[in-house]
Amino acid sequence: MRKWNVMIAILLFAAAALAGCAGKDNSAANPSGAAQGTAETAAEKIPQVLTTNLSGGEPYTLDPAFASDTTSYFIIDNLYEGLYTYDKSGKIVEGAASKVDVSADAKTYTFTIRDGAKWSNGDPVTAQDFEYSWKRILNPKTAAYDPSSLYYIKGAEEYNTGKGSAEDVGVTAKDEHTLVVELKAPLSIFPIIAVGHAYLPVRSTVVDKDEKWAAESNTIVGNGPYVPQEWKHNEQITLAKNDQYWNKDAISMETIHFKMVQDATTYYQMYKTGDLDMILSLPLDTIDQEKQNKEYLSHPSFSVYTYSFNVKEKPFTNQKIRQAFAYAIDRESLTKNVTKGGETPALGYVPYGLTNPSGKDFRDDAPEKYYEFNAQKAKELLAEGLKEEGLTQLPPVSFKYNTADNHKKVAEALQEMFKENLGVEIRLENQEWKTYIDTFKQKNFQAARMGWEGNYLDPLGVLGHYTSSNSNNFTNWSNKEYDNLIEKSTYELDPNKRVELLQQAEKVLMDDLPIIPILFSADTALVSPKVTGIIFDARSNPDLRFATRVEQ
Amino acid sequence: MYVLKRLFTMLVTLWIIVTLTFVIMHIIPGDPFATDSKAIPESVLENMRARYNLDKPLPTQYILYLKSLLTLDLGPSIQSKTTDVNTLIARGFLPSAILGIQSMLLALVAGTALGTIAALNHNRTFDYISMFVAMIGISIPSFILAPLLIKYMAVKWGLLPVASWGTWRHTILPSLALAVTPVAIIARFVRTSMLEVLHQEYIQTAEAKGLSTWKIVVRHGLRNSLIPVLSFMGPLFASVVTGTFVVEKIFAIPGIGKYFVDSIFNRDYPVIMGTTIFYSAVLVVTLFLIDMSYRFVDPRIKLASKGD
Repeated sequence: MRKWNVMIAILLFAAAALAGCAGKDNSAANPSGAAQGTAETAAEKIPQVLTTNLSGGEPYTLDPAFASDTTSYFIIDNLYEGLYTYDKSGKIVEGAASKVDVSADAKTYTFTIRDGAKWSNGDPVTAQDFEYSWKRILNPKTAAYDPSSLYYIKGAEEYNTGKGSAEDVGVTAKDEHTLVVELKAPLSIFPIIAVGHAYLPVRSTVVDKDEKWAAESNTIVGNGPYVPQEWKHNEQITLAKNDQYWNKDAISMETIHFKMVQDATTYYQMYKTGDLDMILSLPLDTIDQEKQNKEYLSHPSFSVYTYSFNVKEKPFTNQKIRQAFAYAIDRESLTKNVTKGGETPALGYVPYGLTNPSGKDFRDDAPEKYYEFNAQKAKELLAEGLKEEGLTQLPPVSFKYNTADNHKKVAEALQEMFKENLGVEIRLENQEWKTYIDTFKQKNFQAARMGWEGNYLDPLGVLGHYTSSNSNNFTNWSNKEYDNLIEKSTYELDPNKRVELLQQAEKVLMDDLPIIPILFSADTALVSPKVTGIIFDARSNPDLRFATRVEQ
Repeated sequence: MYVLKRLFTMLVTLWIIVTLTFVIMHIIPGDPFATDSKAIPESVLENMRARYNLDKPLPTQYILYLKSLLTLDLGPSIQSKTTDVNTLIARGFLPSAILGIQSMLLALVAGTALGTIAALNHNRTFDYISMFVAMIGISIPSFILAPLLIKYMAVKWGLLPVASWGTWRHTILPSLALAVTPVAIIARFVRTSMLEVLHQEYIQTAEAKGLSTWKIVVRHGLRNSLIPVLSFMGPLFASVVTGTFVVEKIFAIPGIGKYFVDSIFNRDYPVIMGTTIFYSAVLVVTLFLIDMSYRFVDPRIKLASKGD
C-alpha cells in the first residue's frame, strides 16, 4: 500500500517538475521587442514589430550554400545581401556592390564593393568574401546543393566536378574593393542570375572557425538588413534590424518574428485571432470566403503546372495526338471548379510575373494564346494523328502523377475531360513523391505531371529546360531550331530582340508540344492592414525588407 | 539475475530493430537528395553522397553506423544539413515528453474515475453516460478533435492560445486532444475489470467487515483492476512521450513527432534510424519498468524468467 502511494507521489512530483521547467523556460525567453524600439524617430511611435509565419516549419539551414527550399530562403533573404539585390519596385539594383562595369563582350563583370558595406559583426564586406563564398560552393568537398547556378563562371564547372582547380575559376578579388568575374560565355542576364541565392556571400572567418556556424542564431553573421536575434527551434525565429547594414535608414521594421506553424488551418486561425500579421498559402477551403476580404491577395508565382509527354512512347510520338490532348483541356473550368486556389489557365509555357522591356507582362505580350479549349479541333487532330500512325483507335494511355489530393483532383478532372472531349479513356497512376521523382527522371512514363519553377526570373529560367542537352529535359524531345533560339537568347544583348527570340522559342515549344502547360500556380496571402510595404511579386517569398507597421 | 537477463534481451531487441530498419529503409526506392524535379548533376550528387557515406557499399555503411551508434552518435541529418540527429531529438524531446506525461496523467485519472463510476453504477444512468463518453472518445480521431478544440476554446471563447509553444497554457489544448482516446480506453478497461473484481469473494469479506464503499474500491477494487490498464499503458506511454505527428503539427509543438513521418518522406536515413532507435529504446525501457511495477500493484506476481 505504502509503495503504491510513494509511486503516485513520485509521478506527481516528476510531472510538477517538468511543468515547472516549461514555465521557467518561457518567462526567461519572452520576446523582447520593446527593448529594441530605441532607434525609432519620434514620428514613428508605433512599435515596428511584424509577426508572420513559416508554413514550412523550421528552416532546414540558414547557410545559403546548403539551402534548397523556400522556407529557408524566406529567412536567408533577410540575412545576406548579394552584389545585386531588389529595390522597392522589384527591380534588380546594386546591393553589396556600388558599381558594376560590364566589358563590351559581356563576358567580364567588374564589381566595386560598396564603401561602408559591413558584416553584422562590424567587419567590412570585401571582394575576398565573395571570392571565398563562391569557391566554397564550388568546392566538391563542400557538397553544396546548387553549385550549377555558378557554372556560368569560367572554370566553375571544371572545379566543381574535379576536373579543374580553384585557381582557374574566373572569380578574382583584385583588392578589397574590386571583384572581377569572368564568364564562360557572354551572358546578358548575368544580373538576374547573380541575384540568386548561390551568389550570396558568407563571412570567411566565421565559416572557417565553426563548421556549425549557421545552426544557431548567435553564431550567424550576415551582411543583410536583419540579424537573427533568437532561434527557438521548431517554434519561432526572431530577426532584429542589423545596425551595421549600409542601407539601414531604408529599413523601418525593427523586429520580425517568424512563427513555425505548419498546419494551414491553425495558422489561419492564428491570423484571425490577431496572433499573426501575415500568412501565406491559405487553407484551400477558406479561399472562396476570403476572396471578398480586403486583406486577401493572390498573385502569380513563377511556376507552371504541366504534364510532360515522353515523345518516344507511342502514341505521343505523334505531334497531332499531343496537340489533341492539349486542346481537349478546359483550363478555365479546371481553375474555377477544381483547383480553386487562385491559379490561372496556362495558355503558354512562361508563367505570369515577368515584365518585358515594353512594360507589359511577357505572357500578355506573347503573339498568341496557345491551346484555348476547343473540343472540335481536339477531335479532328486526334483523328488526323491516328490516321498518320495507321491506327483506328488510341492504344492504352496512362497519365502519372505523385500521390497528393490536389494532383489527384486535377488528374481526375483531366481524365473526365479527355473522355468527354476526345472520347478516350485514360488510365491514372500515382506514386509517392520520392518514388515518383525516380520514375520521372528515368523517363518511365507516357505522360506525367510536374510543376516547374524558374531557376531565375527570366523566360530563359523555364524555357531553358527543353533544349536537347539540358538535363532537366525529361521528354526525350529535341529540336534544332529551338536549341538555336535558346542559345541566341542567352547571348543577345539587345533586350527587345531578346524578347522576340524567346517568344519565337516558346512558339516552337508550343507547336511541337513535348509538354502540356495546364495551370500557372498562384500564391495566396492574408496581410493585416496594420502593416504596409510588403512586396509580393514573382519571387518565391514576399519581400519584407520595406515593411512598415502603421497601426498598433 | 532476472534484471541482467532482461537488460541483455533489451539490447538484442534493439540491435534487431536497428538492423531491420536499416535494411527496410534502404529497400524503399527514392533518393534523399532528389527534393524536386530539377536534375542535379551526377558529380554534385556524388559529392553529397560522399559527405554522408552513402557512396560506400551497404554492409560498410551498416558497420560504420553501428560503430557510431556504440558512441551514441546518431549521425548528421541529411535534410537539416547543419544539425545532427542527437541535437534534433534533444531539442524536441522535452516538449513532446511534457505533453505526453500530462496527457497520460490526465488519461489515467479521468479514465479510472469514469470506469469506476460506471462499474459502481452498473447498468444504471451513470454507467451509460460514462460509456457513451468513452465511445465518443474512442471514435473521434485527434485530427478532428484538435481543430474543434481550437475553434471553440481558442477562437470563439478566447480562453486559451490557438497554438505554438511557450507557457503552460499552450500545453492544455494539445494535452486534452492527446488524452481523449486513452481516457476512453482506460475507462472501458477499468470498468470491465472492476466489475469482475467487485464480484470476488474478498470484496464480500471486506463488505462484511463493514468497510466503506470508498475504501473497498480504492484498496481492493482499483488495485486489482489496474493490472490490465498497466499492460496497456506501457506501449501507449512510449508512443505518446516520443511525440505524435498529428497533434504536434496542428498545435505547432516543437516536438519530435514530425521527424518520425517527415524523415521517411524525405528519405533522411540518419533521422529514420535515429527516431526509430529512440522510440524503441523508450518502449523497451518502459515495458521493463511496467513489468517491474506489476510487483508493486500485485505482490503475488513474481519476476522470474523460465528456469530460475
